[in-house]
Amino acid sequence: MKKSGILILIFLPFFAVSQVLEGVVYGNDKNKKQPLPGVNIYWQGTNTGVASDDTGTFKIRKANGNQILVVSFVGYETKELRVDDLTPLEIVLEPNLKLGEVKVVHKNRGTYLSAIDPIQTERINGAELHKAACCNLAESFETNPSVDVSYSDAVTGAKQIRLLGLEGTYSLLQIENMPNLRGLATNFGLTYVPGPWMESIQVSKGAASVLNGYESIAGQINAEYKKPDSQEKLFLNTFFGASGRLEFNGNGNIRVHKDMLTTGIFVHASDQSQKNDHNGDGFLDEPLSRQVQVLNRWKYNNHKGYMAQAGFSVLTDDRLGGQTAFERGMQPLVTNPFGISTENYRLEGFFKTGYVWPNQRTALAWLSNISQHETRSFYGLNHYDASETRFYGSAVLTRDLDMPGKHSVNTGFSFIYDNFSENLYNRQMERKEQVPGLFAEYTFKPGEDFTFMAGIRSDFHNLFGTFVTPRMHLRYNMGEHVTVRASAGKGYRTANVISENNYLLASARPIQWTDDIFQEKAWNYGFALIQYYTVWGRELQLNAEYFRTDFQTQLVIDRETSAENIILAPLDGQSWSNSLQFDLRYQPIERLDMLLAYRHNDVKQTIGGQLMEKPLTSRYKGLITFNYTTNLKKWMFDYTIQFNGGGRIPRVHEEWMDRTDISGDFFEFSPYTVMNAQITKYFRYWNIYLGAENLADFKQLNPVAAADDPFGPHFDATNVWGPVKGRRIYLGLRFNLNYE
Amino acid sequence: MKQLGIIFLILILGEFSNEISAQKKGRAVVCFQSDMDCADCEKNLNEYLRFEKGIKDLKVDHASNTIFIEYVEKKNDDKGFAAAIEKKGYKAEKISKEKYDELVAIAKDLHEHGQEVHQERD
Repeated sequence: MKKSGILILIFLPFFAVSQVLEGVVYGNDKNKKQPLPGVNIYWQGTNTGVASDDTGTFKIRKANGNQILVVSFVGYETKELRVDDLTPLEIVLEPNLKLGEVKVVHKNRGTYLSAIDPIQTERINGAELHKAACCNLAESFETNPSVDVSYSDAVTGAKQIRLLGLEGTYSLLQIENMPNLRGLATNFGLTYVPGPWMESIQVSKGAASVLNGYESIAGQINAEYKKPDSQEKLFLNTFFGASGRLEFNGNGNIRVHKDMLTTGIFVHASDQSQKNDHNGDGFLDEPLSRQVQVLNRWKYNNHKGYMAQAGFSVLTDDRLGGQTAFERGMQPLVTNPFGISTENYRLEGFFKTGYVWPNQRTALAWLSNISQHETRSFYGLNHYDASETRFYGSAVLTRDLDMPGKHSVNTGFSFIYDNFSENLYNRQMERKEQVPGLFAEYTFKPGEDFTFMAGIRSDFHNLFGTFVTPRMHLRYNMGEHVTVRASAGKGYRTANVISENNYLLASARPIQWTDDIFQEKAWNYGFALIQYYTVWGRELQLNAEYFRTDFQTQLVIDRETSAENIILAPLDGQSWSNSLQFDLRYQPIERLDMLLAYRHNDVKQTIGGQLMEKPLTSRYKGLITFNYTTNLKKWMFDYTIQFNGGGRIPRVHEEWMDRTDISGDFFEFSPYTVMNAQITKYFRYWNIYLGAENLADFKQLNPVAAADDPFGPHFDATNVWGPVKGRRIYLGLRFNLNYE
Repeated sequence: MKQLGIIFLILILGEFSNEISAQKKGRAVVCFQSDMDCADCEKNLNEYLRFEKGIKDLKVDHASNTIFIEYVEKKNDDKGFAAAIEKKGYKAEKISKEKYDELVAIAKDLHEHGQEVHQERD
């Protein structure tokens, strides 16, 4: 191989008349251009090569025969340019997040850990989203080691995610980098993001950047929808679940004016009209439901630094659960069966725009969204109705302080407006949150191997006063194989006491609360160590991470102190979460991706004056996933097994419970295992998938306490720790057509 | 340790079965030189060609501008693949396997050379 290289060296430059081509190479780092030193620049098919200097500048001799300039740098996508004259070049390289990858034919790995981002982030791309059937954001994490998904209760079908063992409300949920799905959308919001609409998801743990707000105590989850200027022309997905679930999703992109003005239309409809009660307790395992959603988004890009995007969506979601005999249109009366009905209507709009100055050192961005949400619901005899109008706006100015971009600053302001009106137990509650805020973040990046980021923000809350949010991140590549990250930061969150916890109404005990709005505060500290090695020609990735969250104020759900009420009260004492996780990713044989992960959760809370384990939280989680594709990727096989640790079940102490014949199962749930599998067959324009969720058919026994007497004093459907639904087989079809 | 042994065993078996499939009867190989030049073109062409009739193995590489195809003789022929490549708008000049190996080796050599330059600067 060396010989042929030398041969070329001898023959090629013979007739060459040299001229000098000049240029500058930048790396696109989070949409900012940073000059890249040390980049390899050579003519394709020759050995004439140079490297860029500290300011990213290079000079290379151009011989007559030289046409294709190859620009490559570890950690970035290699770029090839056709060069016909000597006009100075400006080249921007896009980060290639598989650091150090040597380009051979590679599998598109579904999830990977970034080595470049200063914040510990898992990126879930389209390939990973194909591994699980469908259908929405809540179901996209089944192959993910960091995010746990569970039902909040046994009757409403609401799903919760957990990050670091903490409820989803402690993670900042974003769509397209703008906070979303909070307030009234907290309980069902994860089902409002259809899986096939998404292009990718980013899960970052620990404190996030101050640019995104003062929230994100445990982490941040961002979902990106498909972009209207992408290659995709049309995509359709249909899904049939054996338990009666039907789904249809579609999206199409239209290039209105070349690639400058584009629009995307998205539709989603799902329906569950078959009644399922496999455990025979008289209650539906999942509510009957109907959801319809439409989104239209527009993008304008003049390819000279200005870009604008806007869109709006409409959603209706209707769920009916409870006893199987309860029918649509029935009134919530003691003489009727027990029913739970939730209707949601949501309108959303967003607008974001950005401009990058021609010198590439300054950029300005504006992000905003607005939503209007209405809920009408009843749980047995209790009605809960609410409406919310919310606005978020944020302006960010990014500036590199020096030419190579070693020092850069992001500053800006944001504004949150949230108007809430809710009614429970005939108590009307109104409130308005108005929060202007200022923020600044400094990034020091002396080279590719080190990043330090420090941010601070100050927010002026109309109800909670002024508060300051400091955050800090550090990343260091120790040699070729090891990346370390550390982070620390404070986070705040407005707990909407009732709307976030209204699933607790599926219990005979009424909710007791003092404030209908409450501010939670916590510190989060994290440390992560990622190692990359080449073992038998394939990359082995090892990750170890530890995160601690310390609550200063928190809203505690106390189901154990009072036999009459479920008490929602401020924390009085300590509350923390320690999360320790290890992952290993490797291809033991060609095209077989394997992930082994283990996480230990130590989540403790002071409930009723006593520090104890947070109830209904698994003490550990183990995960093994396999993904195999055949040589030409015509078949794909996926298998996932989750090992969920046991935990505590909250019980109100009564004297009879002291008896020795009460089994431990009454206070504790045992570890359980859930398996999923899927087969996908790809054709040129479409693919078909067949799979099963919860293959071993594991179900929590008696998820509804006193199911035979739902209006009686012992009814409770909120002590849920495991799957309520058993094995579910599904079949789906996807069709896609691309622009050439 | 025992598990490591099992993984190793799977690894060996995996390699072995690949070896066998490469020698199957009734298979033919055809190589082309093309003019893709970009990584995206490589991806698009790869996506398209992998569903061609009879195809068993495929390597599309933009760095060396080459395409390697192994297929079942009875199900397709060189012309069929050339037509498919041209349909996507790329050149399909048939070359010998030796020439293909040579082009790939040169491209790979250059790539490694590039990596060395970077390491020296570190």
